[in-house]
Amino acid sequence: MEKPYILHMLTTAKNLSPFDVNMAMDAGWVSAVPYINVEPGEVQGLVQDAIFSRSTKNLKRTAIFIGGRDTKQAMDMLKAAKQAMVPPFEVSVFADPSGAFTTAAGMMAAVERELNSKFNTGLTGKNMIALGGTGPVGQAAAVIAAKAGANVRIIGRQLEKAQGIADMCNTEFGEGKIAIAAGADADKAEYIKTADIVVATGAAGIELLSAELVASAPQLKVAADVNAVPPAGIAGVDAMQNGTPINGSGSGAVGIGALAIGNIKYQAQNRLLKRMIETNKPVYLHFEHAFEVAQDYIKSAS
Amino acid sequence: MEKRSILHMLDPNPHNSPFDINMAMDAGFDVMMPYSNVKLESVHGLVQDAIFSRGPGGVKKTAIFIGGRNLGVAVDMMEAAKKAMVPPFEVSVFADPSGAYTTAAALVACVEKQLKEKHGKELKDCHGVVFGGTGSVGIATGIIASLAGADITLTDHLSVDTALAVANEYNGRFGCTLKGTYASSDADKARLVTHADIIFCTAKAGIQVLNKDILDDAKQLLVAGDVNAVPPLGIEGIKRSDMGAPLIHAINSPGAVGIGALAVGNVKYQLQNLLLKELLETDKPVYLDFRDAFAKARKM
Repeated sequence: MEKPYILHMLTTAKNLSPFDVNMAMDAGWVSAVPYINVEPGEVQGLVQDAIFSRSTKNLKRTAIFIGGRDTKQAMDMLKAAKQAMVPPFEVSVFADPSGAFTTAAGMMAAVERELNSKFNTGLTGKNMIALGGTGPVGQAAAVIAAKAGANVRIIGRQLEKAQGIADMCNTEFGEGKIAIAAGADADKAEYIKTADIVVATGAAGIELLSAELVASAPQLKVAADVNAVPPAGIAGVDAMQNGTPINGSGSGAVGIGALAIGNIKYQAQNRLLKRMIETNKPVYLHFEHAFEVAQDYIKSAS
Repeated sequence: MEKRSILHMLDPNPHNSPFDINMAMDAGFDVMMPYSNVKLESVHGLVQDAIFSRGPGGVKKTAIFIGGRNLGVAVDMMEAAKKAMVPPFEVSVFADPSGAYTTAAALVACVEKQLKEKHGKELKDCHGVVFGGTGSVGIATGIIASLAGADITLTDHLSVDTALAVANEYNGRFGCTLKGTYASSDADKARLVTHADIIFCTAKAGIQVLNKDILDDAKQLLVAGDVNAVPPLGIEGIKRSDMGAPLIHAINSPGAVGIGALAVGNVKYQLQNLLLKELLETDKPVYLDFRDAFAKARKM
């Protein structure tokens, strides 16, 4: 009898996300086992418990998913999980806190696609501002864009907090090789003047960029919004929009809405969950891998 | 449609053990349901909830697993589960907190086998020391070996009071004759090792308990077994897959052999698998604990 595929799903929150559970089962995992209220310090013990009960052959049918809400915490748990492995007793791990890594990856892959197809350019050298960018999706999007060569600024209501998040992203996720800047929301009228890309990753139902500011952006090319709840995060970008021009943009910018992003996010998360089933060698997956598979999906879909 | 087999896994800890979950699924249960933070007083209600919803045919495809980290709690939960049954509404129950019952049963069975094969001796001929003796695996190891006739001392790495309290508690519960002491320094350990025929190392993973200098003091050691699979291993010189390999650092105990964590783990794994399968296959409800685990391990 073939052994079943078991995904141990760890979250620091008090519930798993049903979204992630559905995604795991649909990707082919037979059993999705919940571990809630997990403390980061418990990761080592849980991982070692999981790896020593199956033969190395059947460990290929075992993996760990790390959810939660906090980006850095999830990355730290991913690192702790990797360190807990005792090769050849080793399983794949995939971190996607709040779905933020795959959401950010889906959004940035869509932005890149629009830059390629509408403006014949890429992320390198572009100025990007992440409005409401201090949350998990904003952080991951900023790091993905910065690693791809964009000049990124995380914008938040409080400059100090935004600066702290930008510094954390640079050191924790960029190994010091990226230099994400910070800005205050009050100054966004200034930043929009030089922005090629705007992403809105704030709380649902809050307008982060008004129609006036969209109209005032002289070099804006792509605006993406992860908010699916009206009012839109970026005026003129509706949830269904997928690369059509934004009404009122003087620079001919195109918009990408939450549902278009959600579709790519879904594909990326599905592919990474499947990769853990198909891989022969354990893999440790986070936002970078999410961006790779989101790009692959876009290539295969075009 | 034939009913699916369901294993309800009760755990007093915040998390069910991923180890046990893998094992349960691999033994062939169709559905595994985790229950964490389970209190002793909740067991009665949970068990009765489980037995009354599937009919007399359905209960044969239903079983309960008791996990956790604490041996005493698991023993109490097993008792509570038994009392909650209302025949013919009755399901099988298997307790294996921390995998301690099956690990201990496998460890003692391996040591017993090597004693017989390499030295022609029985457990009842032996003085034994359990290092890490106040953890769940250590306690279960001590009880099993003691009930099989060995003279066993449980050691705690810090406190003699803890060791004595544990020994007394389980002597009372199971009619064994455990002793308790502490061993914090290398000198303490060496003193205990000097007169030991058998040594069980059941301390935390990743901690070396006995180094080669301590093993130098062993004067009559026959067999030593270690359950720590995470380097550094518990007993210097025993490799993880050793099963009766010469104990190279016990230079004053010629003929002494060692058993490593993967050798024990291999038996434990098969044992836990067999016991979980028994829950699925039995026609009459069974209640399985370390005694059943050891009886089965001896036959393997």
